[in-house]
Amino acid sequence: MSEAWIYAPASPAASETARLLAELGFTPHRVEANGALRPRPDARQPALAVLAGDDWAEVCARLRDDELLCAVPCLVTIDPEDLEAGEVLDGHELIVRPFTAAELRARIARARATTHGVEPGDVVRAGGLELNLATYQVTIDDVPIDFTHMEYELLKFLMTHPGRVFSREALLSAVWGYDYYGGARTVDVHVRRVRAKLGQEHAARIRTVRSVGYRFDA
Amino acid sequence: MTSHADYVLRIVEERRVRFVRLWFVDVLGVLKSIAIPASELEAALEDGVSLDGSSLEGGVRGSERDVVAHPDPTTFQLLPWRTDAVVGRMFCDLRLPDGTPFAADSRHALRRMLGVAADLGYTFQVGAEIEFFLFAVPDGDGPPTPLDDGAYYDLTPLDVGSSFRRRTIEHIEGMSIPVKASHHEVAPSQHEIDLHHTDALSMADAVTTFRLTVKEVAGELGVYATFMPKPLEEVPGSGMHLHLSLFRGDENLFAGEPLSDLGQAFLAGILAHAGELCAVTNQWVNSYKRLVSGDEAPEHVTWARHGRAALARVPVARRREAARVELRQPDPACNPYLTFALVLAAGLRGIERGYNLPPEGEGPPLPESLREATDRFDASELARDTLGDRMCDWIVANKRREWSDYRRAVTEFERRRLLRLL
Repeated sequence: MSEAWIYAPASPAASETARLLAELGFTPHRVEANGALRPRPDARQPALAVLAGDDWAEVCARLRDDELLCAVPCLVTIDPEDLEAGEVLDGHELIVRPFTAAELRARIARARATTHGVEPGDVVRAGGLELNLATYQVTIDDVPIDFTHMEYELLKFLMTHPGRVFSREALLSAVWGYDYYGGARTVDVHVRRVRAKLGQEHAARIRTVRSVGYRFDA
Repeated sequence: MTSHADYVLRIVEERRVRFVRLWFVDVLGVLKSIAIPASELEAALEDGVSLDGSSLEGGVRGSERDVVAHPDPTTFQLLPWRTDAVVGRMFCDLRLPDGTPFAADSRHALRRMLGVAADLGYTFQVGAEIEFFLFAVPDGDGPPTPLDDGAYYDLTPLDVGSSFRRRTIEHIEGMSIPVKASHHEVAPSQHEIDLHHTDALSMADAVTTFRLTVKEVAGELGVYATFMPKPLEEVPGSGMHLHLSLFRGDENLFAGEPLSDLGQAFLAGILAHAGELCAVTNQWVNSYKRLVSGDEAPEHVTWARHGRAALARVPVARRREAARVELRQPDPACNPYLTFALVLAAGLRGIERGYNLPPEGEGPPLPESLREATDRFDASELARDTLGDRMCDWIVANKRREWSDYRRAVTEFERRRLLRLL
């Protein structure tokens, strides 16, 4: 199921956060952030990262630099004192301890929206190309284009992270989300299918960055 | 219910899909379809749809056999050629009511073989060049009339063939089948469309989808299309050239000069078993009329770097990832699932047992007729290991019956030669 990784030393507050996340359907794993960024060496990526330690700003920066974790939504939990001390950076979704499951759910939704640059239900646009996140509908100049599920997820990921280069490995991990057999060839095959459906004008928005991967140009 | 199924249900609702066709093939690769209304879709995704499987066994059995078709939601596509109602389609896996695979399910036979390859760390990539003919709709029983030696030229200022290819490509690319190239072939009215390589299961689904799409587009334009291997005596037949490669992760294991050791053993496996597999790769009486014609169709089990008569060609790859073997034996009327499964099995056996590649240009003849091909297939340990005895027996029974029907046919050839002479 979808994992939530909690970056914090063992503490009652961390345990309480884990309990609430489990209540919301996540499988929580605690990560001692002073070492690795993953609870297990082979772990790929969680659905959510919760930063509950004092070193959260540093962990955030390290997550941003990790190829597989850079697109994971982050939520920072802080104590009221820290909030008053002004130790808050812009651009991070915060939740002040103590909090309820309902509050946590709302903040997670906002963290996801922040990461993906869109609100759920929003429409992502690139010229005449529109992707509706609520209805899964893609249109070009209002004409519907039909995609298979994985083609849609790939296009959605690229369109919601414009201007950034993703390696095949990172796309495989972010879009397919598990060790999909077929390896990184799968990404190339799906990019080709998506491009063929988009037609010449919009196909060019999915740029092949030689020996690196792909980038979406909005 | 998986997220794939949820996605399909959502699309069906958003796009107001009215019917969904559930697709599967019989042991000969002939497409069968059941249409269900959109209201039944959720139940079908959850529990499958029951059908009589005896019709899929090559027509040998009379008794009914309960089989459940389970739609594969990752294959959901809207059919591009229907405009009156929005219709979707999904390929199905066929299982018995107790959940075990149905022995006549070609898709499962290929999946199982791909699983064997996956356990060895391999993924099998296939590209296909498919040839076919377009003919004018015949009046009565006369021979087929090619379109582009006059028959239709006067009727339309445009070449039917090129607008046909354009429309076909639009349709199949809309169904996730990217096209690499297309052109008019050697013979009058003969066309070729090349599909980009992908994993073997997607390619088998693609070939099946492609054959129907071509026939639909031909119908829209008032002509008809055929994948019959040799429809006209005097011109070359239609082949389906396969471009084969094995990958481990991102690495093309065939890359070498001109082929890696592993690639050579794979090719040696294909050559060693080519004759045994003809009853599947060239499964009709008519297939053997293509294989004897010379032209570009192989008559002997050979490989070559250049030239167009060999059974397998090793093209010069400009990039490592493009290294491949081109197999020229199959025709477009084969069962692509079983063809890919058997070709992969033969190649893997070559690797496993360290077969040596014979010298370029040398090799025994292919079977001369469906009769000989069926005998060799019947006795093939490789085919039985790969497809299972029941699947093989069904195919053999069907092919023996076809041969026996053919033996009774009095042909145009005999009348032409003998009617007045004797």
